[in-house]
Amino acid sequence: MPGPLEALQEMLGEAFRREAPVAEDPGLAARCAEHVKGNDRLTPAEQVDLYRRQFWMRHLGSLEEDYPGLRALLGAAAFEAFCRAYLQAHPPASFTLRDLGDDIVTFAEGHAGFPEGQEALCRELVRYEHAFIDVLDGAEPPPLDPARLAVMTEEDWGTARVVLHPLLRRFRLAYPVHEIRDAARAGSALPEVTLKAVCLLLFRRDLTMRWMEVDPLALTLLDALARGVPLLPACELCAAGLSEEETAQLGERVQGWFAHWASSGLIVNVAHIAPQDAVEALGGEVVPH
Amino acid sequence: MSPSEKPRLGLPDLGVGVGLRRKHHEHILTNRPAVDWFEIISENYMVPGGRPMVTLDRVLGLDYRLIQHGVSLCIGGSEPLDRDYLRRLKELVRRTRTPWVSDHLCWTRAHGVDLHDLLPLPYTEEALRHVAGRARMVQDTLEVPLLLENVSSYLTYTASTMTEWEFLSGVVEEADCGLLLDVNNIYVSGYNHGFDGATYVDAIPAHRVVQIHLAGHTNYGKYIIDTHSDPVIEPVWELYRRACARLGPVSTLIEWDEDIPSFEALLAEADKARAIRDEVERARAA
Ligand SMILES: [Fe+2]
Repeated sequence: MPGPLEALQEMLGEAFRREAPVAEDPGLAARCAEHVKGNDRLTPAEQVDLYRRQFWMRHLGSLEEDYPGLRALLGAAAFEAFCRAYLQAHPPASFTLRDLGDDIVTFAEGHAGFPEGQEALCRELVRYEHAFIDVLDGAEPPPLDPARLAVMTEEDWGTARVVLHPLLRRFRLAYPVHEIRDAARAGSALPEVTLKAVCLLLFRRDLTMRWMEVDPLALTLLDALARGVPLLPACELCAAGLSEEETAQLGERVQGWFAHWASSGLIVNVAHIAPQDAVEALGGEVVPH
Repeated sequence: MSPSEKPRLGLPDLGVGVGLRRKHHEHILTNRPAVDWFEIISENYMVPGGRPMVTLDRVLGLDYRLIQHGVSLCIGGSEPLDRDYLRRLKELVRRTRTPWVSDHLCWTRAHGVDLHDLLPLPYTEEALRHVAGRARMVQDTLEVPLLLENVSSYLTYTASTMTEWEFLSGVVEEADCGLLLDVNNIYVSGYNHGFDGATYVDAIPAHRVVQIHLAGHTNYGKYIIDTHSDPVIEPVWELYRRACARLGPVSTLIEWDEDIPSFEALLAEADKARAIRDEVERARAA
């Protein structure tokens, strides 16, 4: 049996999260009047409503800040309806509003209320915008020591693990959703969005969020590096299915990408690992050298 | 005199400070203005890294004094205290070297849901003992003094058996902790519930007040909401004068969180508080 304090908090906690004014539910209004005094200017239900309104204002405002692209795409009313449905399904659980969208990606996957024909676009946009939250205030590892690259031999690249920045996020997008978010944040008109495959990296540099469009092959290489596959075997994975001419050019392209990633801070270390671990990173499959 | 009978529980008077807010970070880091101290919202810095932590370390590097003020402790909640929250809060205490930590005499969570609001408690013996026990635990865990702040409230309970100031005084005495007296919150709650702020100021245990808050609010006629969006109004300055006369010099902070003005305007508000403190002190000395 909960004590009176706990029971009171549970009752009010539910009342504060209701969508409609308390007075519209006579049963709840009566329960509120049992516990809340009211005064000569406000009824108990009206007093509870002051907190109820603030609950919605605060949490809708927080989601509006975190998902500006989705809001611009859907429009204010549809965005609010989506957020209300989300907050009903996943009430705030963490002490910090930063975690408010913890379940929003999964929720969006199953949400039936997106505009017809734009469901996939909306879900992709949610997934992209959600990624900003962890990257924005994630911990920064020490930068790559250039001396580590200088001492690498050809043989080392066959076994060394390239450590990517832990806050680097990789996307294979069907829509250029990054352009939607950027336009929304800049307050400009949204671009015409049609299906257009984009390989995108999202990361933080000098405390600022940045994105970089990359070649699909470059993203495949990064995916392999992220799994712990050393550089040379990762390149061999990328070469699968390429023409002879493309394969011949691959080495030079990889060098260019690698240099760009290193100078952009996306590579934070090159670590020697035991050959057995390298095989495991390849999923147990040994790639011929 | 034992430490708990000394004015401010023996803790220092830091003068008049202002809140450290994102809007002013660049100005502060570039111009290094003279400020007695800054108050930070603890939760904004309980993150692994990024801009908040870099800014925090840079401000600390400039030798500014930082005081931590939290909003999520939920000292009046019915769920067990959040151990992970306390661990992270303590980590921040070590980083900022704050001489005390404050949070609100309220509840914020119920039944697994965080309402992110400062919700008033019923003023009952049950609630008093419950909160005081938890405050002792928090104080033991953090190893710095805890101050509890009176909140602005928009409702009162039929179950209450004492006044707000009796409840607040009872809690801090029983918990043997400090008090953060928010003079604007006294005014707001006094307006909303029809009590006299002066009675409140005169009733609280003076030696436990370690810090004072001043802020602006929004008056909607039938009620006032504590918005921290405007300058301090004259009746609140009057209450502050009364508090200074009763308590002596106590670290005072100007809170401004919505429609935040320029840093100069914020400092002007702090200067106003300083002038009142000084004037009251001169009168006391004479
Ligand atoms: Fe306050």
